[in-house]
Amino acid sequence: MTFSRRDFIKTASIALGAVTLPSWVYEAQAATNLYIEVNKNSLADTALSTAKKLGATYADIRINRYRLEAVSTREKHVQNVSSGQNFGFGVRVLVKGTWGFAASPIVTADEVARVTKEAIDIAKANSAFQRRRIELVPTPRVTASWKSSFKKDPFDVPVDDKIQFLLKLNEAAMETKGVTFVNSAMAWVNEQKYLATSDGSRIEQYLIRGNPSFNVTAVDRASGDFQSRASLREGQAIGYEYIERQDWLGDARLAGEEAVMKLKAKSVDPGKYDLILDPSHLFLTIHESVGHPTELDRALLWEANYAGTSFLTPEKTGKLQFGSKIVNFVADRTQPLGLATVGFDDEAVPGQKWHLVKDGTFVDWQTTRDLAPMIGKKSSYGCLHADSWGSVPFPRMPNVSLEPAKENVTADDLISGVDNGIMIYGRGSYSIDQQRYNFQFGGQTFWEIKNGKKAGMLRDVAYQSRTTDFWGACDGLGGQSTYLVPGSFNDGKGEPGQSNAVSHGCPVARFRNINVLNTAVTPSKT
Amino acid sequence: MLLDEKETKAITDKVLAMVKANDASVSVSSDQLSHLRFAHNNFLTSGQTISRGANVTVWIDGKRGTSSTTDLDDASLRSMVDQAEKLARLAPVDREYVPTLGKQIYKPVNGYVEATANMSLTARAAAIGSILSDCEKAKVIGAGFHSARSQSSGSASKNGNFEFERSTNVSLSVTARTVDGQSSGYFLRSHPDIGKLDIRRISSEAIKKARDGVNARTIEPGIYTVVLEPQAVADLLGNLGFGFNARNAEEGRSAYSAPGGKTKLGEKIFDDRITIYSDPWNPELPGSQSAQGGIPAEMVTLIENGILKNLIYNRFWAKTKGKEPTPGPVNTIFQASGPTASIDEMIKATKRGILVSRFWYIRGTDPRTASQTGLTRDGVWFIENGKIQYPVKNFRFNQSVIQMLAPGNVEMIGVSERVGGSEGGGSSASLLPALKLKAFNFTSQSEAV
Repeated sequence: MTFSRRDFIKTASIALGAVTLPSWVYEAQAATNLYIEVNKNSLADTALSTAKKLGATYADIRINRYRLEAVSTREKHVQNVSSGQNFGFGVRVLVKGTWGFAASPIVTADEVARVTKEAIDIAKANSAFQRRRIELVPTPRVTASWKSSFKKDPFDVPVDDKIQFLLKLNEAAMETKGVTFVNSAMAWVNEQKYLATSDGSRIEQYLIRGNPSFNVTAVDRASGDFQSRASLREGQAIGYEYIERQDWLGDARLAGEEAVMKLKAKSVDPGKYDLILDPSHLFLTIHESVGHPTELDRALLWEANYAGTSFLTPEKTGKLQFGSKIVNFVADRTQPLGLATVGFDDEAVPGQKWHLVKDGTFVDWQTTRDLAPMIGKKSSYGCLHADSWGSVPFPRMPNVSLEPAKENVTADDLISGVDNGIMIYGRGSYSIDQQRYNFQFGGQTFWEIKNGKKAGMLRDVAYQSRTTDFWGACDGLGGQSTYLVPGSFNDGKGEPGQSNAVSHGCPVARFRNINVLNTAVTPSKT
Repeated sequence: MLLDEKETKAITDKVLAMVKANDASVSVSSDQLSHLRFAHNNFLTSGQTISRGANVTVWIDGKRGTSSTTDLDDASLRSMVDQAEKLARLAPVDREYVPTLGKQIYKPVNGYVEATANMSLTARAAAIGSILSDCEKAKVIGAGFHSARSQSSGSASKNGNFEFERSTNVSLSVTARTVDGQSSGYFLRSHPDIGKLDIRRISSEAIKKARDGVNARTIEPGIYTVVLEPQAVADLLGNLGFGFNARNAEEGRSAYSAPGGKTKLGEKIFDDRITIYSDPWNPELPGSQSAQGGIPAEMVTLIENGILKNLIYNRFWAKTKGKEPTPGPVNTIFQASGPTASIDEMIKATKRGILVSRFWYIRGTDPRTASQTGLTRDGVWFIENGKIQYPVKNFRFNQSVIQMLAPGNVEMIGVSERVGGSEGGGSSASLLPALKLKAFNFTSQSEAV
């Protein structure tokens, strides 16, 4: 069923209550050709009054619609073009200091009442065995609407344009002799989120993010060897201008050349090297070694059964030397292009920016309204997030970014100070322990540095280190001109597992004397 | 609240009637997930989510479009079909198009248990409450996750096929940590039938491992003989059976590719006591009645006595290569074809080695050799002269799976049991044994607990 825009606005004007929405909401929702006929405020009133009547001391309801469009191709043909939408609501209640949650895709008043009662029943059943009550810090009541920053809505761009772009990209990657395969894809996500809390907050948010990607493979059939080189760009909170403003074809051409070059590159000699890490690589090291250990739920053992705990503990706040003096990390839910940038989190706390590591010292945590009181904080930094209407909101990472040098330091400046090193680009294999001490990272391309200059290509490189040793070994940062905001489109955490999108802005950076191993060699004799 | 067969068929019929395209397949699913998460000897989050959705793929003159929705009213289904057809009209010809299947005959798999779908909230709360009490008595800090899921799925094709099945799965994992944070134990199991989930065993094994892991010593990383508990094997090899992709191997980009554009099909790649297969109807590990592309699932042997017997052909690649599409795998069963050994027997037979409970954060480092890195977690012990001597701190490993299971490296194999990879949290499982391996490559140490 297709609504004309005029019919749609008429329906929406009747349906929507107290929150006055800006025109972009109508335009964007009308473009989906979907029914938006639910009265969210009225449904919220049903949920919140039912919850209160049945004994909840706090409740919230999220009524969310998610749209996804994805195109995938390989070589000269299209593998799939898909489009989907996902609509439903979730009700969270706090009864006798115990959480309950229930969710449904049937967005009607009767179902909201039934689901709210179900959430209460779950909380009550569990509260009989609860040891310590969950408490929440307050947050100001707010009525607001917020939109992420984008110029060209990707859902308005014809699918054919996306297909043609990817096929041209594949063609560029295959220009180099020896390239055997190329896969490319783009995924676009639109979140239309509504939140009402029993504190009186009512918030509408509209978010867009995109994740173009490709992977080029060169196969040497005679020797049975093969090597791949993936895109160095990552997903961002941005519109279709991401496709139009970057030189993706040049990237793909270079990837083809480098995939072929990797087949003949020198296999690395294991040992200690100085590393120069490009932002396209460093962001993931930041994610794993800084983003996750500063999550307070991990430090308080809430994640002990799954992702793990943290080497950081509350008593180390303000004391532990996390890295060298030049290392500053900010948590930032307001960062432009940041995948975790929001107006408000999933319990009505506004997006904020704060230091996690200041001048090398670990100084603060990522918090939510139920975590903050456990370390004596009076307010939350706004890190509660659910990946769907059907998922329980829980602590998720904000954008965690490394501040650049104030001076205009370039990658070449950092390289010039290295006698025996390796420069690494791109996201490769990654693994870190459950308390975030010991990690190993690979990459996409590796370049030997000899006597202050970039030399030939290496392969089979991964480095292993320990978080505080690694950041303590950081002795050089690039300036703002080297700063990028790469991110991970799918960061898993929690039980049931949820996927979060998060970015890590960073400049190029230098690390001294890091242990490098050769991943192609597996000794097999005892 | 799951959609039953009649409701599912009504929706697939409705969608197919809306389709104007030459060919189409439609799937309709519903899901009920009930969870309880606990940590620090306290209840954390708990909830129940119902979800459902429909997905349609259409081909117009060989051009393909896909669309999905969670709204199952007529207007939304119509919108979904219109969107898929719009996308198909814009798309280039799908070179991998194979016409959808006509009517198929399926042999049902019994993977649905009513008692799991209708689990009592109060009984679950009491069961987890008793785990918290056990942890308090043992002076450990308990955390864990109880998950009960029921699912229905149906699919239909424009060429006349329809199939429907339901399944359930309940899992419980428990982590116990000593109060000083110096030792941690973990145990996970799952089953389709909530009555067969042994909650006491899961809780007591986790607590025992935490207690047995105190005063862990530091020993040097290196190449050791290892005894891997079934959980550790599941973390490394849980879905191994799904990795034998024929197209990747034949295109030269897989560990099963061979020089000269060939594959390793027919070669002995693993120890000759290893057989890996898929059996949809295994009572401990019910799979699915339909394999890839909707073809009726059958038993499929991938490795027989160490020999690579089959690679997996999807319908398109099978047609391209003049082969039959592979009716599986729908699960992974790893079975010893010779005598088996218990973990105690493996320890007794070890002169110097390491016992590993579990691995964590495993990622591939080199697809050519199926090499992986990851870490031990929640219980590692040093074995000497046939006895466990003391717990040791965790290691990172870098190890090729192919080399690990190669002839000459597998010393003893246990009886397979149902166990799931811990990164998947019990959402899926395989039948896997404990293994004693001659050489396993630990490359560095981690102080993580």
